[in-house]
Amino acid sequence: MASRKESTSVSSTAMASTGGTLDSPVKQIQIEGLVVLKIIKHYQEEGQGSEVVQGVLLGLVVDDRLEITNCFPFPQHTEDDADFDEVQYQMEMMRSLRHVNIDHLHVGWYQSTYYGSFVSRALLDSQFSYQHAIEESVVLIYDPIKTAQGSLSLKAYRLTPKLMEICKEKDFTPEGLKKANIGFEQMFEEVPIVIKNSHLISVLMWELEDKSTVADKHELLNLSSSNHLEKSLQLLMDRVDDMSQDIVKYNTYSRNLSKQQQQKHQYLQRRQQENAQRQSRGEPPLPEEDISKLFKPPQPPPRMDTLLIAGQINNYCQNVKEFTSQNLGKLFMAEALQGHN
Amino acid sequence: MSRFFATGSDSESEESSSADEITPKAPGATFKQSLLLSDDEEDTKRVVRSAKDKRFEELTNLIKTIRNAMKIRDMSKCLEEFEQLCRAFLKSKNIVDKEGIPPFYIRLLADLEDYLNQLWEDKEGKKKMNKNNAKALSTLRQKIRKYNRDFESEIAAYKENPQESADEEEEEKEPEDSGSSSDSEGEVSSKSFLKKKPEAPSEATKFLKTAKGSGDESSSSDEDDDDDDEDWGSDQSGSSGETSDKEEGKTSSMSVLFLKKAQDTEKLGVRKEERKKKLKQKERIEEEAEEEGGEESGGGWEKVKGGVPLVKEKPKMFAKGTEINTAVVVKKLNEILQARGKKGTDRAAQIELFHALAAIAAENNLGQGILVKIKFNIIASLYDYNPNLAAFMKPDMWKKCLDCIDELLDILFEHNNIFIGENIAEDSENLAVSDQPFRVRGCILTLVERMDEEFTKIMQNTDPHSQEYVDNLKDEGRVCGIVDRLLTYLENKGSTEEICRVYLRRIMHTYYKFDYKAHRRSLGLQGETKSEQDQEESEGEDSAVIMDRLCKFIYAKDRTDRIRTCAILCHIYHHALHSRWYQARDLMLMSHLQDNIQHADPPVQILYNRTMVQLGICAFRQGMIKDAHNALLDIQSSGRAKELLGQGLLMRNMQERNAEQEKIEKRRQVPFHMHINLELLECVYLVSAMLLEIPYMAAHEFDARRRMISKQFHHQLRVGERQPLLGPPESMREHVVAASKAMKMGDWRTCHSFIINEKMNSKVWDLFPEAQRVREMLVRKIQEESLRTYLFTYSSVYDSISMATLSEMFELEMPTVHSIISKMIINEELMASLDQPTQTVVMHRTEPTSLQNMALQLAEKLGNLVENNERVFDLKQGVYGGYFNRDQKGGYQQKQSYQRDQKSYQQKQSGYQRGGYRNQNQGNY
Repeated sequence: MASRKESTSVSSTAMASTGGTLDSPVKQIQIEGLVVLKIIKHYQEEGQGSEVVQGVLLGLVVDDRLEITNCFPFPQHTEDDADFDEVQYQMEMMRSLRHVNIDHLHVGWYQSTYYGSFVSRALLDSQFSYQHAIEESVVLIYDPIKTAQGSLSLKAYRLTPKLMEICKEKDFTPEGLKKANIGFEQMFEEVPIVIKNSHLISVLMWELEDKSTVADKHELLNLSSSNHLEKSLQLLMDRVDDMSQDIVKYNTYSRNLSKQQQQKHQYLQRRQQENAQRQSRGEPPLPEEDISKLFKPPQPPPRMDTLLIAGQINNYCQNVKEFTSQNLGKLFMAEALQGHN
Repeated sequence: MSRFFATGSDSESEESSSADEITPKAPGATFKQSLLLSDDEEDTKRVVRSAKDKRFEELTNLIKTIRNAMKIRDMSKCLEEFEQLCRAFLKSKNIVDKEGIPPFYIRLLADLEDYLNQLWEDKEGKKKMNKNNAKALSTLRQKIRKYNRDFESEIAAYKENPQESADEEEEEKEPEDSGSSSDSEGEVSSKSFLKKKPEAPSEATKFLKTAKGSGDESSSSDEDDDDDDEDWGSDQSGSSGETSDKEEGKTSSMSVLFLKKAQDTEKLGVRKEERKKKLKQKERIEEEAEEEGGEESGGGWEKVKGGVPLVKEKPKMFAKGTEINTAVVVKKLNEILQARGKKGTDRAAQIELFHALAAIAAENNLGQGILVKIKFNIIASLYDYNPNLAAFMKPDMWKKCLDCIDELLDILFEHNNIFIGENIAEDSENLAVSDQPFRVRGCILTLVERMDEEFTKIMQNTDPHSQEYVDNLKDEGRVCGIVDRLLTYLENKGSTEEICRVYLRRIMHTYYKFDYKAHRRSLGLQGETKSEQDQEESEGEDSAVIMDRLCKFIYAKDRTDRIRTCAILCHIYHHALHSRWYQARDLMLMSHLQDNIQHADPPVQILYNRTMVQLGICAFRQGMIKDAHNALLDIQSSGRAKELLGQGLLMRNMQERNAEQEKIEKRRQVPFHMHINLELLECVYLVSAMLLEIPYMAAHEFDARRRMISKQFHHQLRVGERQPLLGPPESMREHVVAASKAMKMGDWRTCHSFIINEKMNSKVWDLFPEAQRVREMLVRKIQEESLRTYLFTYSSVYDSISMATLSEMFELEMPTVHSIISKMIINEELMASLDQPTQTVVMHRTEPTSLQNMALQLAEKLGNLVENNERVFDLKQGVYGGYFNRDQKGGYQQKQSYQRDQKSYQQKQSGYQRGGYRNQNQGNY
């Protein structure tokens, strides 16, 4: 990640020269059709199953709008070419693109997802480094499975300022998170997306729509649901298991902590009593000892993972909810059709 | 040659010592005298003898001195001389190596040790001894002990055959003596020599005196005796005073030497006498004095001479001419009894003594009372024979014991006027023949109980696979006979408590035996041509009737809980053994033993375990598979069936328990002939588990919360699965596992062939008394359960299935099939309905889809999660604010919503249950 940060810092200086720091945060993202197609293509070519593909987004900020005008994929690398230099590749890519007069400003990255499972530590870390370097950068999450069902699923996320703070401080202890007052709901914020094509392309589309016969196939109306739901539930269940484990861990921690507190308390009291006795006998009080040495507080479990899991669970739930509500609608429709016939 | 010489010199030394003995009146002078004597000898013989002889002479002289010191009880002197002797012996080592250890040396060592031991045990004498002497005594004793260790074998050999040396002596002596004294005299002296009493010098002197009395001085006066004693005393003190200057710690003894000899001769005869003598020293001294006074010649000698035990024994018991009456015998009896339990008492000899006493009593017609009393004591001492609890009786002892008890019972039966009891005080006994009935203290019941325990012990300690075991087991009949006789006896005379106890004994010998006669009779076979003996046998009472009668008596009369508990358990066991399942079960349930058996002592618990196991096996025979499984579950699930049934110790525990515990546990073991076959037990358990578990598994294949009915069975299945290559089953377990696999597929024929075949028959099924019936039951069960399994497993494949087909497939009658399926439908195990006109089962597809299953699982997991979360929250409340920074109110609300969630979840669950997917309890199976 560090390397990537380096590269981004280069570009950010470049950007700074153009626009300086953002006066107003990005409120909307405008994506070129080209980018969407490129991402879909990338996934179809390289990512299969639960494999994840990633790439770089290029574009620029206009007012409160982030325009993403182009992208290029990270190459899939295998074990053999471990010494492959990603940074070098990116720089090369961007330089080449600049040569053909394409926007070359780094504004974020994209990633495909498998049944909506993308809220992870890795994503958090890279998004943080991006956002740390380039404030406006976002991550585009492309869900190929939903897309295959008939509706394009593309979402842009970025970290909330609060989470940025925490990540900067790297304080993931319960106390730290508590102080930051952050919940899983406030970790990521979604930015609305608009897909924009040039007029020429729109014209072409109109033209094509008339000619094509493919459009008869309506994936959208597929009634089968159990497969997708099952997968989702399976994943959800795994997350829930993780969550349970984390909670148990945390539980143990807090119990240990309170036990130790009690011991500490007792110890102090005993000390006090002894001192009082000594005083009454006219002896000097016992020397103060370092209590923290005597009672080493147990290592608090990092809570960020739990937060992420919660976020992920939330995500799954949204997915399932969305999916089932759609399906329900479809079922009613089908029923109505049945009745009509 | 050398040997001759050696003995020669030896005899010489003896000679001189005998000379000493003959002149004991001037003990002060003896020492010098003997020295002089030896000097003379040396002078005369020096010319002839070689270096070896010189050495030996030196030794001999020292020995002589020691013997003298022993005689006068001068311990310090003894010690001094002994040390010198040792040194001298070392010096002559090379000669000794060449020639072997001279026998006289060994004799001295043995004698000295015995003498010292005797002195040591004579507490009185020790007290009287002055300090130096006492000190020297202990030192010397230790020294000699250590020293003698090197000569153990020689000493043992000598002790075995002391006569030899004595004879040699005599031989030597006779010619020498013959010149100076008459034959008779020589004899006497030699005898006296042999006779010399070890105990006390006074005694020794007495003998010597008598010897003299017969020879030189016809009458020795008591005064002399006294004088002697005094002299010795003064001498002792004097010598000790002398030595004390130089060597404080040393002691010496003298007069001891002869003792050895006396002991040896006695050893040939009866060793116990010695002990008795010690006990009754005074008495005897008087006696002897009397005798001496009365009969100076032959008569008196007879007694002394008595190398033969019997001759000696009798006079020992009763002085000759004493009128033997009850009182005297009782007195004697008590005397013998006093030695009982004391250290060093020869128990075997004691028994002999009792026998002799009994014989005397019988001879003199002292009546049955005394006889009974003696018998009691004989049996008691027989039991006492083994000092520790773990050891068991030797066969001959055991036989003797049985005989004795039998005889005792004979007497008791013959003579109605004998009252025996523990509570009859010793002094209120009436043993003499009189008009009053005899009253004897003693408890025959205790004796018989002890005998029974001994019998168990013998059986426990015999290798169960040896012929010896069979031989021992044959005694069981006698034991039972005795118990039976006692039972009849006590029924007339005993108290209720005693009757209860003896009944329990009887029950204990009955409950585990299968009553083949009754069994045959119940089958109606007894009319067939049986030998007369058989018929006679079958005329006896059924063991069931006996058990019933005895147990009921105990239930009614017993006041100790333990006897009743045991009786109940035995009764149940007996019922179960004879397939009276309902009686057995009801009795078990009524007794409420299951609740509090863990408070009972281990033997009762073992009995309880045995009973439960027998109950389970009985249930199995009756086809109550579930009951069988439940009864066996506890024993089998622990994997320690062997230990729990008291049929062997597990090696695993060896390290955990120490030797003491192990011994205790060993004592608890059930004798082999009462064992329950463990393989049969395990097989019954596994087959029951199979019959229960396989259909259950089939029914709940997708149930996440499925519970195992039998862990052990699952374990076996897993072991079977782990096998990389499955050969044909060999062991019983493998058979059951293979059968289970077949049953899982609903293939009852294969299952049947695995469970019931040649191998399994010989291993297991033939062990049942009604093997054929059990097998039939088993086949039927297998068919039924296979049918159920088949329906569970394959119902999803069928839309409908005809009952005729099913009945054909499983070779069951239509009604049976019908009833099984109906039951399954009613229990909501099978989603189907019966179509009456076509006789088909129509399946309803209602299993949850995998998605539904998944959702259920998720719900469960979420429940867990919520629970965990709640726990965290509970901890948080109060001390720290919530991690999510909720305020109190928010947390509370949150909690409520959790609860709501949970409730709805539960509702969901219960709704589901109503839908009938959830497994119903197996109860109504």
